[in-house]
Amino acid sequence: MLNILYISFLPLLPLPSDSVATKTHNIDEVVVISGRTEGQKRSIKGQVASIDEHIGELSHVNLVRRGSYAWEPVVNNMATERVSTTIDGMKIFYACTDKMDPVTSYVESGNLQSISLNSGLSGNPQSTGNIGGSLDLKLKKAGFMELGIRNEELGIDTLSANSHSIPHSSFHIPHSSFLIPNFTTGYEANGHLQVYGADAAYSSHSFYANGGVFYRHADNYKQGGGEEVNFSQFQKLNAFANLGARLAEDHILEGTFIYDRASDVGYPALNMDVSKAEAFITSLSYKRLFHHPVLNTWETKVYYNHIVHIMDDTTRPDVEIHMDMPGKSWTSGIYSLLSASKGSHDVQLNYDLYYNRLFADMTMYPGGAAPMYMVTWPDVGTLNTGVAISDVVSLPHQQKVKLSAKVAQQWQKLNDEEGYHSLSVFFPGMKDAYYQTIGRVAANYEARVKEYTLNLGAGWGSRAPTVTEAYGYYLNNTFDQYDYIGNPRLKNESAIEVNAAVKWQPSSLLSFNVDANAFFFYNYIIGQFENRLSAMTVGAEGVKVYGNIDHATIFNTSFTAQYHVLPWLSWTGKVNYAIGRDADSDPLPLISPLAYATSLDFAWSRFQVRAEVNGNARQVNYAPKYGETETAEYAIVNLNTQYTFSLNNAHLTLRAGVENLLDRRYSTYSDWCNIPQKGRNVYVNVSVGL
Amino acid sequence: MEKVLFVNEVSILNASIEKIVRLVVGLFLFVATFGLVSCNSNDDENGIVIDGIDLREDVDCCSAEEALQVYKFLQTVKIVPELSTTVDGKYNVFAYTKTGTFHKGYNDVYFVVTKKLTGNYVKNYDITNITPLMTMVKMGHQHSTPISGSVTTFDDTRIAVKHGWVSLLMNTSDNGFWEFSYDISVLGSTGKVNKVEINVDALPDGQDWLKNFKIGDDTFFLSLVNPSEWATGTNEIRAYISKKSNPITTPYFLATETFTVDIDPRMPDMGNHTSPDNVTLTRQSDGSYKGVINLTMTGLWRIHLTVKDAQGNVVAGGDDLKDGFSSLYWDVTL
Repeated sequence: MLNILYISFLPLLPLPSDSVATKTHNIDEVVVISGRTEGQKRSIKGQVASIDEHIGELSHVNLVRRGSYAWEPVVNNMATERVSTTIDGMKIFYACTDKMDPVTSYVESGNLQSISLNSGLSGNPQSTGNIGGSLDLKLKKAGFMELGIRNEELGIDTLSANSHSIPHSSFHIPHSSFLIPNFTTGYEANGHLQVYGADAAYSSHSFYANGGVFYRHADNYKQGGGEEVNFSQFQKLNAFANLGARLAEDHILEGTFIYDRASDVGYPALNMDVSKAEAFITSLSYKRLFHHPVLNTWETKVYYNHIVHIMDDTTRPDVEIHMDMPGKSWTSGIYSLLSASKGSHDVQLNYDLYYNRLFADMTMYPGGAAPMYMVTWPDVGTLNTGVAISDVVSLPHQQKVKLSAKVAQQWQKLNDEEGYHSLSVFFPGMKDAYYQTIGRVAANYEARVKEYTLNLGAGWGSRAPTVTEAYGYYLNNTFDQYDYIGNPRLKNESAIEVNAAVKWQPSSLLSFNVDANAFFFYNYIIGQFENRLSAMTVGAEGVKVYGNIDHATIFNTSFTAQYHVLPWLSWTGKVNYAIGRDADSDPLPLISPLAYATSLDFAWSRFQVRAEVNGNARQVNYAPKYGETETAEYAIVNLNTQYTFSLNNAHLTLRAGVENLLDRRYSTYSDWCNIPQKGRNVYVNVSVGL
Repeated sequence: MEKVLFVNEVSILNASIEKIVRLVVGLFLFVATFGLVSCNSNDDENGIVIDGIDLREDVDCCSAEEALQVYKFLQTVKIVPELSTTVDGKYNVFAYTKTGTFHKGYNDVYFVVTKKLTGNYVKNYDITNITPLMTMVKMGHQHSTPISGSVTTFDDTRIAVKHGWVSLLMNTSDNGFWEFSYDISVLGSTGKVNKVEINVDALPDGQDWLKNFKIGDDTFFLSLVNPSEWATGTNEIRAYISKKSNPITTPYFLATETFTVDIDPRMPDMGNHTSPDNVTLTRQSDGSYKGVINLTMTGLWRIHLTVKDAQGNVVAGGDDLKDGFSSLYWDVTL
């Protein structure tokens, strides 16, 4: 998949510099909220875009699609197992043994301020196991009103409402406050996708509150050529609220709450659908601001989240055996993050602890005979605690070094007797409790010399096996049609990462960017054939058991060029290429083929147009050894327009466009079981901010 | 005091308050009574008290500690009233099974004998000549069924409990009925249970725990022991191989021949899914056959059998049905 660069509303401006001190080239961010966010990445569809579409804007990211909902982010060609996802630093774990619910599916675009990605091992402080990268979904908080500072987060020109408050705020604050309602709605013709959202924010100097409700509904979409893709519908309801109170001038209490419920979600790539995927996410944090030569802020957050996921095959025709497959996940945790700076150092110190419970079972109902029951995740309790430190050192001559490290310890206990005894059949004498130590360390160097910006980085990190990899039980994988059994005797996987990037900006109108990273894995975890075991799922090819292979390599590279041809016209071109190899030098599965995108952006005052072509080359290096089939090349054309205007104090943004203009029938390498992508899709949406 | 208050107040208070007061008084009386009982409970020197048993010392009977062990065990089984009797008016003989009833296939049977006078368990007695007899009403003949060789002490900590088993070839139906007989001798007295009719339940669908095979003119029976105790995971599988006797109205005792039984557990509802590392049943010193069976989930498991003689020749099962599996099998539904 391609990575679309942002459209700058003012094309003549140079590319945004990394304004946040801790930002380095390995950090990417997509802004979700509406309003003015000049020079930052955002979805061409604006806030109405799905969370998945927003994530797709990030560099290094692809998405695995099993339907039109709940796509799985893949970072640097590594999926959920090797990617950390947090919501405002909170750990949350998906509840479906078939990965139908990546945790990003439990938030809604309207909940978010932005999504940030730390590529590779230099993860955010709360992340663990982030070999491929770490995503943090930053919640949209109205923030407190400060004096005389533009509110960038909500796009308001008056007073500031920035929750990352400026330490040296004035003590003479007016007691005024404001309330901002905001409405969004969108429609997509293909699949009759409807999006409705309303939210409002209230801010004063000592208190803020914002909240909203969002609803999405889609019917089956049509693939290129017009054929309907059955079981691709979904429906989602989301509500959120954020509250903040300034207890004293530099003492801030913040609470967040999200309720998210998807229902009637179809998964055309799988044998089952979902009747309910429900999450409840909440946190309470205390933030201390300092007026101190060294200390900046200290935030401590406690959180809890709970997910219930219910699969459903009752609407499918020709079901061999009807089955119930519910899953549950709950997580509770705390983190405490201290930010300090002294001289050229910006230091972050973080302690975190979380406890997660995962339970899933399966009951199959053969006609007339006794039901068959198995525990597929044996109520695994994971207690993980770690300490992370990072230091960004600004050196003379526009040089910067970022160092980061984390060490974490993890205890796991299998709380379900039946699940433990079943897995013991395959691992006689296995214990019901495990302990792991994992860690990571990374260093990045950045230098700017004339028109060049150079980045070099290296790191080492390890991860513990996931619950599926260690204790999963007969989890059918429709990708290769094998039943997977976890292996409690897996060793930790580790990897060495090296990365480099060069940006050459010979003029403010022209820039070239070359970026490459490589991951050298040891004890890479992947399913391995176990011929002596018999498949459980009717129609499955056989059984695989997770195992460590001695080594593996993943290499990613991209090239981007951007040219501001005229004040109102710019061109962007991008090519990505990746290679994945196992210990036998055979291709790893789900590695992107050569991908390219080229786009032309036109901007006339408040009216913008983007025309783009993107595509993949034929997937030459597919992995037949791992059950992958070859994906053909494709190219599609998209047209997008946007018009912004004001009407009686209301800011309106109208967007309209056509995706897959030529109605091509295609699927990408990351479309699970090669389910076809959407055919021609006309969309229109409007955001109103008062 | 309480009562006086109650009587005095009742005329003034309304009905609901009356109810509350009555409840309070009732509770008070209940607590008082209960407290009194607790205070009076037997704090004898052993600290062991068993309801209905006089634990005074008696050489024929259990010590307090032994009796407690027996008593505890008997809470896990249920009495079979038809098979219980008295001997000489001095002893009660009780028979037990897991459920207090019998079903087709293997059933554990336990006996205890108590002195009528004290209710304590007698340590030494003999149960002999257990004879289950099926009368086939329509076919007009009778036959017995596989049983344990003898009734023996259950285990060292519960020597007053005797254990045996019967494996019933069929359930009671319009076609036939079962009668049980056995002899008892206890401390010089003898007694007998003679041809008591016993109801034998059928097993539910998906349970088939008793199979037979023939070698020449001999018929052998494969009785699977208590598969209802299995759970998902690794289980010990136990069975007995009995030989049809002649005449067939005498009980069928364990076969003297030595066999091995290969097992291949399959789930017919799941495309004949199987489990790994199952261990062949081999003959133990006590005459039973033991192996290991792994069950990956609940549901119907069809355990296909291949019986081999001491030389390793297949003597039963091991053939290929249409689905490729042995026609000799037990069915167990977890």
